Amino acid sequence: MGCSSSLPDRNSGRLSGLNSENSGATDAKNLRVKLVLLGDSGVGKSCIVLRFVRGQFDPTSKVTIGASFLSQTIALQDSTTVKFEIWDTAGQERYAALAPLYYRGASVAVVVYDITSPESFQKAQYWVKELQKHGSPDMVMALVGNKADLLENREVSDQDGMEYAEKNRMFFIETSAKTADNINQLFEEIAKRLPRPASS
Amino acid sequence: METATASSSSSPASISFYDFLDRMRNPASLDLVRSIKSFIVSFSFYAPNPESDGKRVQDFFLSMETSIRDHPLWAGASDEEIDCAMEGLEKYVMTKLFSRAFACCPDDLRIDQEIAEKISMLQTFLRPEHLDIPTILRSESSWLLAEKELGKINAHKAPREKLLCIMNCCRVINNLLLNASMSEKHVLAGADDFLPVLIYVTIKANPPQLHSNLKFIQLYRRQAKLTSEAAYYFTNLVSAKSFIVDLHAKSLSIDEIEFEENMQVAKLANKVPDEDPCPTRDGEDGLRRETGVGTFTAMNFKERSNSGLQYSFNNLFELAKMHMIVTGSPYPFMQAEARDLTVGDVERLLRLYKDVVDKYTNLCTAYRHLASSKLESGHFKGSTASCCYEQPETSVSRQREDGADI
Repeated sequence: MGCSSSLPDRNSGRLSGLNSENSGATDAKNLRVKLVLLGDSGVGKSCIVLRFVRGQFDPTSKVTIGASFLSQTIALQDSTTVKFEIWDTAGQERYAALAPLYYRGASVAVVVYDITSPESFQKAQYWVKELQKHGSPDMVMALVGNKADLLENREVSDQDGMEYAEKNRMFFIETSAKTADNINQLFEEIAKRLPRPASS
Repeated sequence: METATASSSSSPASISFYDFLDRMRNPASLDLVRSIKSFIVSFSFYAPNPESDGKRVQDFFLSMETSIRDHPLWAGASDEEIDCAMEGLEKYVMTKLFSRAFACCPDDLRIDQEIAEKISMLQTFLRPEHLDIPTILRSESSWLLAEKELGKINAHKAPREKLLCIMNCCRVINNLLLNASMSEKHVLAGADDFLPVLIYVTIKANPPQLHSNLKFIQLYRRQAKLTSEAAYYFTNLVSAKSFIVDLHAKSLSIDEIEFEENMQVAKLANKVPDEDPCPTRDGEDGLRRETGVGTFTAMNFKERSNSGLQYSFNNLFELAKMHMIVTGSPYPFMQAEARDLTVGDVERLLRLYKDVVDKYTNLCTAYRHLASSKLESGHFKGSTASCCYEQPETSVSRQREDGADI
């Protein structure tokens, strides 16, 4: 499967106990953002992120690869950087009530569904409504149709996804964690849409 | 995947704490010491109120950070050194304020108690399949290690060290998940797998004062440090707690009637230890008292009972048999035939009958309780993956630190 090819450097996930990384202030050039992943279980949320984190080859960037928390910094063309701290959430129905604990304070929400599963698209719409009701109003939201490589099994048209996203003023993209299609584009596009603190 | 981390007693945190104490004992830092002491004293002027207490402490940390940065003793210090000093300060202040700040509302104790009771009921019947945990992730050894880490949370006073216990527990689970995905039989499912395992481990560990510990970390861990990965794992435990508090039959993959029955049985079983503290000990004392079989057997029994519950119960029966041989049966009608009995025996027969039924019922309940709560968690030896961030200090150094003064 697209997700289990290679294993990340096991030391990269180690928390450096006393470093001051976390207290590093966010300035206009270097943003640190909390990104929360929502979506039904099995849509490939974690695969998308793993693809993204492993796909960056900048040796200077610090990455954290855990099973459910990952961080990765990307450099943009305008020589700014964005460090994504990616919070995965459990997609099973029985944990739905816990989601607000995770998206509280997030600057970005990525809602994922599987293009071969209409139920997961329904679930994605549920999450969008939840975020609109309870999330912070300036949160950047993206709707992602994953498993785009499984075209022959498609049950949610890209038209439906796009229309829904437009109606809800979200960024829309279809990805394949398996082939890595559009994975980097997803995160770069999010980075561009982030509100920038006024530069001093 | 076992990446061994050196777990020496002189952990970096410990060193930095002594370094902090040393600098504070330097006459040049008298002004800082004065601020710290007066803050600690001023804290007792106010009635406990978690929100304002938390804010007061956080504000104090921030203002002290500025003072330390500007202080001659830290002239030219790197961010890392300042951070070490702040870790020392947090530990010092929160150790001094611990009894005032930890579980300070009567509600906290009540909630802690309720959660612990609910968990101990769940422990009697909850299985991994009730949370649909995939078979490949059911690793007794990893889970026990994770439970052990989480169980240490109450052994520390400093918010940072309590948080480390959570991080270490989560790290073990994290590695289990990464290992499973490496076997290629299981696609890494991220939080879909992580949270159920954490919930299961939390239930198995039943960490003492879970609610109060989480609240304490939330309020008193320096805010700049409760971010990123630490915040993520912390949030996961908060959400595991919240799931457990709201847990009902529909939260699990279990038949509703089966769930209710199990909870009822567990409720009854959990009452037993309150009434007569330890059934095994009770049995032993009882036998010794009644029979005077002699210390030899009693001690022998006690010694052997350490090797496991199953053994101890076998021994109990053995001992009971011996008891009959030595003292004669306490149930004299065992050898009697119906024609030997008279109406005058009815009273005694009825009394003995009630006695036997009572004993049998108690023993059954106690056994069920012990079997479910102790057998499951009692036999783990050795550890598989030591992949923790840092081992907290030994109890000796902890005591020394608790009493440290500046």
